[in-house]
Amino acid sequence: MLLRLNVADHRPLHEQVAGAIRRAIAEGECVPGDRLPPARDLSQALGVNVNTVLRGLRALRDEGVLEFRRGRGVTVAQGADDRSALLDRIREVLADAERLGYGKDDVIDMIRGVT
Amino acid sequence: MTERAERAERAGQAPGRGSAAVWGSGAWVVGVLALLVAFPLVARDRLPDRLATHWGTGGDPDSSMPFWAATVFPALLWLALAVAVLLTLWRARRNSGGATASSWIGVTLGFTGVTLLGAQASIVRANLDRTDWRDAGSVTVWAVVTLAGAVAVGVVALLIGRRARVTVPPVAGPALEIPEGQRFVWLSRVSNRWLHLTAAVCGIVSVGAAVAAMGGLAGLHTVWSAATFALAAVALLACASVQARVTEKGLEVAFGPLGWPARRWAADAIASAWVENRSAMQVGGWGYRLSGLGTTVMLRGGECLVIRTVKGKDFAVSVDDAERGAALLNSLIAQRAK
Repeated sequence: MLLRLNVADHRPLHEQVAGAIRRAIAEGECVPGDRLPPARDLSQALGVNVNTVLRGLRALRDEGVLEFRRGRGVTVAQGADDRSALLDRIREVLADAERLGYGKDDVIDMIRGVT
Repeated sequence: MTERAERAERAGQAPGRGSAAVWGSGAWVVGVLALLVAFPLVARDRLPDRLATHWGTGGDPDSSMPFWAATVFPALLWLALAVAVLLTLWRARRNSGGATASSWIGVTLGFTGVTLLGAQASIVRANLDRTDWRDAGSVTVWAVVTLAGAVAVGVVALLIGRRARVTVPPVAGPALEIPEGQRFVWLSRVSNRWLHLTAAVCGIVSVGAAVAAMGGLAGLHTVWSAATFALAAVALLACASVQARVTEKGLEVAFGPLGWPARRWAADAIASAWVENRSAMQVGGWGYRLSGLGTTVMLRGGECLVIRTVKGKDFAVSVDDAERGAALLNSLIAQRAK
């Protein structure tokens, strides 16, 4: 699988790792059911500590993008590609909102107001 | 023309150099063959009917051969080796279109040739003017001298081969656009379940043999077979799965479940990368293979990521998605070159 990282990204490393994997899933690099490379491989390839990678992976599990299964390693969850793409867009919206001075709660209110 | 200019011209003309090497090896093979037969024949009148051909650790002869056998045997050995080398060379050339760096041929022919010549000369010398092979003199000194000479010739052949290795023009491979400010990383892994299975079987046999030896069911020598099987299991396990990574540092290929041992190539040590379809038949089996195609890590037939180093050596590994791995590698090489 091919992972992309932004050199100028200033987010914490575990978020960058999660972002790279989320993007890879959104772009169809790995489809639902696919096994992700082991955390150690990812950490060596990305030049990041294993624990940082694991932190990123756990965040993705909590988002419902990845599934941790004993004996099967980390797999891409069903529907994760769509979900991941949607989450990416929400993130963009949040970033735009922040630039314009709206907080997360404001955006949630806005979404509630949309019919 | 000065010698240096001549050499420079030869280095520039790969085909001419190649045929010079072939003629040189041919002359060496024929020359050694003639000498091996000629040595005993020339001294025929001063040699006994049976020649001492083997010496014990004490320096006394302990085995002999009839004169004709002692004359022909080394020559046959040499001939067999030369034919084997020739066949390998021929196969390698056919597979890779003539572009093989073949310093090992010089080393093999040089080392074995000198060893055989030295051995034959020592045998003739030790048997000279004796009536019975049991009276033959000692050859210890000559054996040492021969071995030293053979090693020296082998090293020289290796050095010449290294220096003469032509840098093979890179093969045009796929490329990938890397946008400004982005970092790409490519990962792939592949495993072979049959090799895993064989490793498991070897492991079980090893443990069984060890337990049997400890429990006194089998003799102590079983420990050796246990150790052999354990070694085989570890080696098979290391070859049964492989991870390939392309990062801005270059290519890294890690073996086994632990990712160790691993081989690494810096991006500027690689001339080019591409994808090739290879089968286990082509490279001589599964696992870590050395053949006329270079080194291949063959875990399944089909798509292989192939790199050629700047020194002209090829390395291939059978991984999925090799196309993009090669493309990323080529782009990284191009980035480095800028």
